[in-house]
Amino acid sequence: MTDTEIRPDPAAGIHASRQDSRGTQAPAAHHRRSLWPSRIRSGFKHLGLILLAVVMLYPLIWLLVSSFKPNDEIFRDLSLIPHNIDASNYSQGWNALTYPFSRYLLNSGIIVLGSLIGNLISCSMAAYAFARLEFKGRQLWFAIMLMSIMLPIHVIIVPQYVLFSKLEWINTFLPLIVPKLLATDAFFIFLMVQFFRGIPKELDEAARLDGCGHIRIYLRIMLPLSAPALATTAIFTFIWTWNDFFSQLIFLTKPAMYTAPVALRTFIDSTGESSWGPMFAMSIVTLVPVFLAFLFGQKYLVKGIATTGIK
Amino acid sequence: MSVVSELRRSASGRRGSPPGEPPADDAGVPPAPRGATKGRGDGKMAAIFLAPWFLGLALITVGPMLASAYLSFTDYDLLQAPHWIGFDNFTRMWEDPRLHKSLVVTFTYVVTAVPLQLAAALGLALLLDRGMRGLAFYRSVFYLPSLLGGSVAVAILWRQVFGVDGLVNAFLGFFGIQGEGWVSDPDTALGTLVLLHVWTFGAPMIIFLAGLRQIPEMYYEAASIDGAGKLRQFRAITVPLLTPIIFFNLVLQIIGAFQSFTQAFVVSGGSGGPADSTLFYTLYLYQKGFGALDMGYASAMAWLLLLIVAAMTAINFLASKYWVFYND
Amino acid sequence: MRHHRTTRSAVLRVVALAAVGSLALTACGGGDDSPSADGSGGGDEKVSIRFSWWGSDTRHTLTQDVIKDFEALHPNITVVADYTDWDSYFDKLSTAVAGGDAPDVITQEERFLTDYASRGVLADLNELGLDTSKIDKSVLQSGTIDGKLYGVATGINAYVVVADPEAFKAAGVALPDDKTWSWDDYVSTADEISKKSDGKIIGAQDYGSNEAGFSIFARQQGQSLYKPDGSLGYDDATLAAWWQHSIDLQNSGGQPKAAASVELGNAGPEQSLIGTGKGAMAWYWTNQLTAITNAAGHPLQLLRVPGETGNERTGMYFKPAMFYSVSAKSKHPKESQLLVDYLINSEAAGKKILSDRGLPANTDVRTAVTPDFNDTDKQAAAFLAELGSDVVDGPAVPPNGAGEVADITQRINQEVLFEQLSPAEAAEQFTQEVTSATSK
Repeated sequence: MTDTEIRPDPAAGIHASRQDSRGTQAPAAHHRRSLWPSRIRSGFKHLGLILLAVVMLYPLIWLLVSSFKPNDEIFRDLSLIPHNIDASNYSQGWNALTYPFSRYLLNSGIIVLGSLIGNLISCSMAAYAFARLEFKGRQLWFAIMLMSIMLPIHVIIVPQYVLFSKLEWINTFLPLIVPKLLATDAFFIFLMVQFFRGIPKELDEAARLDGCGHIRIYLRIMLPLSAPALATTAIFTFIWTWNDFFSQLIFLTKPAMYTAPVALRTFIDSTGESSWGPMFAMSIVTLVPVFLAFLFGQKYLVKGIATTGIK
Repeated sequence: MSVVSELRRSASGRRGSPPGEPPADDAGVPPAPRGATKGRGDGKMAAIFLAPWFLGLALITVGPMLASAYLSFTDYDLLQAPHWIGFDNFTRMWEDPRLHKSLVVTFTYVVTAVPLQLAAALGLALLLDRGMRGLAFYRSVFYLPSLLGGSVAVAILWRQVFGVDGLVNAFLGFFGIQGEGWVSDPDTALGTLVLLHVWTFGAPMIIFLAGLRQIPEMYYEAASIDGAGKLRQFRAITVPLLTPIIFFNLVLQIIGAFQSFTQAFVVSGGSGGPADSTLFYTLYLYQKGFGALDMGYASAMAWLLLLIVAAMTAINFLASKYWVFYND
Repeated sequence: MRHHRTTRSAVLRVVALAAVGSLALTACGGGDDSPSADGSGGGDEKVSIRFSWWGSDTRHTLTQDVIKDFEALHPNITVVADYTDWDSYFDKLSTAVAGGDAPDVITQEERFLTDYASRGVLADLNELGLDTSKIDKSVLQSGTIDGKLYGVATGINAYVVVADPEAFKAAGVALPDDKTWSWDDYVSTADEISKKSDGKIIGAQDYGSNEAGFSIFARQQGQSLYKPDGSLGYDDATLAAWWQHSIDLQNSGGQPKAAASVELGNAGPEQSLIGTGKGAMAWYWTNQLTAITNAAGHPLQLLRVPGETGNERTGMYFKPAMFYSVSAKSKHPKESQLLVDYLINSEAAGKKILSDRGLPANTDVRTAVTPDFNDTDKQAAAFLAELGSDVVDGPAVPPNGAGEVADITQRINQEVLFEQLSPAEAAEQFTQEVTSATSK
């Protein structure tokens, strides 16, 4: 009966008809169904969503439009329609600093790549232990893990700097990547623990009966069935590392090592003249890789156990 | 099928009896008590799986944490070596009105921003999980604001929305209402930061979406065969199976909100203003540590925060026994 | 069982070692890493020094250009740039100092100079043999603490009232005579502009969030913000009077409403009232004139602050825009000194830096480069030259903890604007907070 309003969503690659058999629909909709033709209902829903989207996107649209305005016009004329489109902010911003902006994007990219690999492997391993293994002091270690993200970075950074300075890691990407390889981001461990615990235990019991050890259960059952969790971890690691400012500011002191967020700040001087236009333009440029990463990653978000047809 | 019946049993325990006959309790392997077949523990395996984490804990996490614990008992200005002053930093905290103010601001923020953001995230996730046209498009659009993070551009953008000449006032102008500068009024500034937080509901929304995806389709199929309606399926399958993810978001959002820094820093230019109305705890800690070069006091503040957050998290975990449903 | 017992105790041992190690390292942070003797020879040996500053991209570009020239003159010295924006500069600097890793040449600001100097972070430039013979004496004094030169001024500024002649014209109000105007004139001029333009142009932007304005106000009364010994040198009544003018202006419409003032206070010159064509007067440092003129899109006028005549004395003064300092722990103090010398004493460098770091403090360089200034810089230079004869002296070097005073001023000013505190209460609270901040 509801088939008319359902269309497969090619971008997301979901089997839409299956989606609808989910129970996520509220009962009110059930009632209205008899009164309103489905097309109108769907129209209203889209209208609502589009309105919400516009409200949410307004600041970003303003940012995009301003990046095409001359520096002195940005704050004098707040309208969303530029008088004449001027892309010079982009060329100016790209070349304004010591190196072309691509250098900073590349540096950010290296750190992101290292963090991605680190978080995906090390956090999922730790999560498997917390979710599926029985060992002494499990709860205590879990509590310690959570506590490790409860201290604000501002009091940790100085001792960290001292530590990394003695290791001669300052001005390298090591302080930004090695911790990720060693699962210091408890957020993702906890995230994956929650997802692993959602996977029916029967699956590993069955595998165990077939003679699989923990390593194979982890590799062959948990990881493949946790695609959404891994995709979430990958997306967040990408975005948060990409946007991270403070630790990159502190640990990288050579312009050759600067990352995109650190470079973006150097356009602004709150006491003097700032290059707002170029900064906005480079902000947009910096957004593009994360947005692409998100578009790419979200395909995997929806490849869960639900669609892999485990019976 | 046993999983489903387990599930429904546990769900029905709280939410009334399930419709129709429960499916035959055939294969009947209830989730075995942990390790019943394998002896008492997997200590060796755990050591392997936790090796990177242990190494990270030992080499990178614990040292700086203990160092900050030590520094909280010292007078440390960053420029000279710290010297021991016992509990002075902690006793000073009792008499610091700005610290008390920052606690009030932070608690207010936590109890408003976290539930609002989670509600928005969960609502949109449920709406967007269902097959509909343009799903991927909406999902991306709603996530876009979260991509900006703590960029300096956020401060400017927020002023475009909530400033004296901002979008909100332009909108109110249509109705003849003359709005003030919402970002810069002590009565409303914190509210705009709550909205800024809600605006970035994309992150928890993604986690909810991933969680919804993780619910095995077979549960719904089985329930359909049993004749359970959509509402019943929602309450008996979706909600209980999503509780671990709701719980995760709740715990992490609370931990995160207590440490909220960047947005207030960027929007208020680092001051926590106007008139301390957005003086988040961590912002004040930062001002003390780096502005006033009083890192000893800042470290003491950090450990007080850790105690508060750990206590809140512990309460959360204790309470979770009553509402979070695990599949194992 | 036995297995994980071993694992655990091994882990605990590692944890403990790491923790203790880290503490020991922390203690080293401010310790006495004495500079190694070998590097200070300054011969032909290749050395690398780090130079840190803050600013926006224009400054980064031109500074690195100057560095290249310097490196060409001294082929054995490599200068590594270490730049960031103003808001993050001191976070980065203090962390690096804590890690025993300070840059060799450090750009400093007036309010933090004492903090760093008194804690042994900075070297005495006189001892390093820096040539300061051409630097204005009163300006040199501003970087001297207890007879030691911890920072040499890069250039000078003055805190002034910037007026937009077009805004005055549009409101039909005549520009005041800045040689004679009083604080009452300032208030009435601002009010008149707002009234005559029907609020389309606001008379003046709030001035109360910058303690430099009060420093001048106090000096006009024969008092001062800080005394040379670092204590406070004003009556609470004077401070209350300063804020009272602001509240009067706000109530009469000569100044924006409180929320708008706060918003403007957080924004840079581009978003200011004058920068966006919505106001007639605002207080700025003279080196901000170019930024604000560019934002406004037409020439602006510099005025002396009100109250310079008719009071006990003049209050305006030359402020060092920033300082160049050398780290006390630099392994290459001699080369660092050479770089500072080049930056302040070289005409070639001056011609590239121009007024970026204030009007050059070296008077010879100033004369040589003035013809190369752009129009706004020439305007500022002429204004400062004329002001020179009326400036009596500079204020005392701000004490330890003065970096915090900017935040205190801003916060208490906001409480005054939102009328949470009366000017008298605000003055009392300010005095109390500043006393505790600066008496560490």
